[in-house]
Amino acid sequence: MIEIKNLEKAIDGTKILDGIDLEIKKGSVFGLLGSNGAGKSTLLRHLCGVYKQDSGSVLIDGAEVYDNADAKRKIFFVNDETVQFTSFTLSELKEYYKVYYPEFSEELFEKLRKSVNLPLKKKLGTFSKGMKRQAIVIVGLSCQTEYLLLDEAFDGLDPAMRMIVKNMLFDSILDRQLTVVISSHNLREISEICDTAGMMHDGKIVFCREIDGVDNVHKLQVAFKEEYTKDDFVNAGLDVLSFKKNKSVYEIIIDGEINEITKKINTFSPIVFDSISLTLEEIFLYEMESKGYYAQDILDND
Amino acid sequence: MISIDLQSRVPIYEQLYKKITELIIKGVLAENDQIPSVRALAKELGVNPNTVAKAYQELERNNIIYSLSGRGSFVSKINDGTIRNYILSDFDDSVNGALKAGITREELKRRIDEVKEND
Repeated sequence: MIEIKNLEKAIDGTKILDGIDLEIKKGSVFGLLGSNGAGKSTLLRHLCGVYKQDSGSVLIDGAEVYDNADAKRKIFFVNDETVQFTSFTLSELKEYYKVYYPEFSEELFEKLRKSVNLPLKKKLGTFSKGMKRQAIVIVGLSCQTEYLLLDEAFDGLDPAMRMIVKNMLFDSILDRQLTVVISSHNLREISEICDTAGMMHDGKIVFCREIDGVDNVHKLQVAFKEEYTKDDFVNAGLDVLSFKKNKSVYEIIIDGEINEITKKINTFSPIVFDSISLTLEEIFLYEMESKGYYAQDILDND
Repeated sequence: MISIDLQSRVPIYEQLYKKITELIIKGVLAENDQIPSVRALAKELGVNPNTVAKAYQELERNNIIYSLSGRGSFVSKINDGTIRNYILSDFDDSVNGALKAGITREELKRRIDEVKEND
């Protein structure tokens, strides 16, 4: 398990991480979302022990990760920069990492390499962006670490390559309970592979939720005989994310199970009551809004 | 055979649950038929295997499928509860659709009675 408590980090006097609290369960696929500059890469670099935090703690299976070789051996980090190691061949890259990771499997490496047809003896500099990404992912998976951190891993991959990389991840998740942390600025890109997602903004985790579970955020369109305010619904025990009133129709976004919501709304004797569950994207937008952020600035919908 | 809609509002896990139940009720999958492994289905659909596993666990908990360790998951003997739940949830969806389209509850209730009479 990854546990981050009150993590703070400033670089050159600028606060990049501003009190991060986060738990990532073993075997889960965690999506770390946020716009460019939100602090995703900085957070990942703390997770793999490259950066030393100013304060707070970063624990991997209960041990502080910075300057801890044993903890670091459990983690492989796939950087979002594709320019490193351009003078290496894939075979040299493999040998380079093999030294650090005792669980490295030649057998798995060969199997993965053959599945994507990457040449062993050509310099990585001659590879396309997608091939470089595949090369490092193959090496990373072959290291058989318990944790794999992917920084913008799907960025620039075409759909076919994305599918291949995804399938490789799935095999490792099933074979050895690999925990994956994957950052992205695009929710749609990673929504189907994550079970949990967290949104970063301005060096903070703005919110975090399970995304493959039962549908749990609903948009209600209701009308009543009487006038009500947002507080009336909050006091009734409803988790109101957004509240709008247009003439006599209320549009209320509520977090919760629909039967419970219905029961509570019925106590207000609605004359019109309609509900739909939200898409993941809408949930994120409303969650951001409820926290006082303008989600459009944060979610990149390209 | 098992397909899902990634753009849908319905969570993937719930879609899988419904889809597999539907295939069983409609007779596409028969008792003791093997269903795809979690791995195969996750790869085919491109969704997190943990999500697929969760749907399978729920199906197993409700005796819709059973699993044999090391051999995979299979379709259980279909039980009345499964069919009942499926038909009723289908009915609920239709009712919701009708209510949204402005048909009143009274009209729908009358309709049920009429259906009965015409039987």
